[in-house]
Amino acid sequence: KIFHLGACRVSMSTAEIRAGFTAIKANIQSRDPIRTLSILSHPQSLHKVKSSDRCCVAHHLFTFYVDKVFKHCRTEDSFVNRKISSIANSFLSVRRKLGQCHEQNNCVCGEESTEKFKQILANYEGLNVTSAAMKSLGELDILLDWMEKSQ
Amino acid sequence: SGELYCSLPNPRNVRFESVNMKNVLHWSAPEGTGDGVLYKVKYSVYGVGKWIRKPECRNINRTWCDLSSETSDYEEQYYASVKAFLNGMCSDWMETTRFNPLTDTKIDPPMVSVSSTDKSLSITLTAPEKWKRSPEEESISLLQVYPGLQYNVSVLNKKTKKRWFFSISNNTLVVPWLEPGTAYCVSAQIHVTTPLLDSDFSKEHCIATLKDK
Repeated sequence: KIFHLGACRVSMSTAEIRAGFTAIKANIQSRDPIRTLSILSHPQSLHKVKSSDRCCVAHHLFTFYVDKVFKHCRTEDSFVNRKISSIANSFLSVRRKLGQCHEQNNCVCGEESTEKFKQILANYEGLNVTSAAMKSLGELDILLDWMEKSQ
Repeated sequence: SGELYCSLPNPRNVRFESVNMKNVLHWSAPEGTGDGVLYKVKYSVYGVGKWIRKPECRNINRTWCDLSSETSDYEEQYYASVKAFLNGMCSDWMETTRFNPLTDTKIDPPMVSVSSTDKSLSITLTAPEKWKRSPEEESISLLQVYPGLQYNVSVLNKKTKKRWFFSISNNTLVVPWLEPGTAYCVSAQIHVTTPLLDSDFSKEHCIATLKDK
């Protein structure tokens, strides 16, 4: 599938990531007792990001998940752990593609996208690292829902 | 809030049942309680700090509550919760899992209309609409909600029992090179690849090609 993220055109499949997440969604979200805080969707929603900033925000987010989230999401359940590592591998390949757009200057980071990502990091750092990582993983469908609107 | 000692068994199996984003909260009565149990319902937007009571579902004796209006923004996710009351006693609040209207809804089959010539069928498909508060409200087709929405179409030759399957993205399909004067039955399904959502197949719509001129 071709994703149109501002000036960046990326061909990728989120179906595999989606299937992996669906398999562990109930397990992961049940480990997150905090209903009143979201990493990705509040106070500002991803869905309000301007089209021109989509690539930069997406690139930031995939890097965020690879560098900060997956490594802190080990569980006692080997099935869940396998699914998490397969999702992480898919994220690595998507991030590489987004990185290519970055190198070709098709991934401009405007003030809004930088501000948006700062807010996400602030939400993340407001929790202890394991809770923050598990909450972020439980919000993967928020990221995918937003990405898939750009098909 | 003046609630009494909560030793009543809890409502069970509290969950959203959603079709075309008509999102209805359902639950089962607490174990071992006969008639007379009353319930109240609250819901919250994930990531926002407060629970909101649903007045129309306060002190109700039925075991469902329509929260479609409250959960109509499918860019948000939600929790809902139910509490039971009987003879001055109450249960704990029992919560759903996190509800994502976009991925956790079931989609109805498409509407199918068929016309024929002597050697072909023309099939037109219409995706269902997203639930809306009132007939006057603007209709939103699920096609707009799911950019990757496709149709799987099955065409059966009633005489030879031969069946063809087509997978199309736009909503019209012409099936050529058919036999004149023959009955064909058409059925269609909606397929969304991601998030992965498949409707059931529609009822069969049978029509005969015209006899040879």
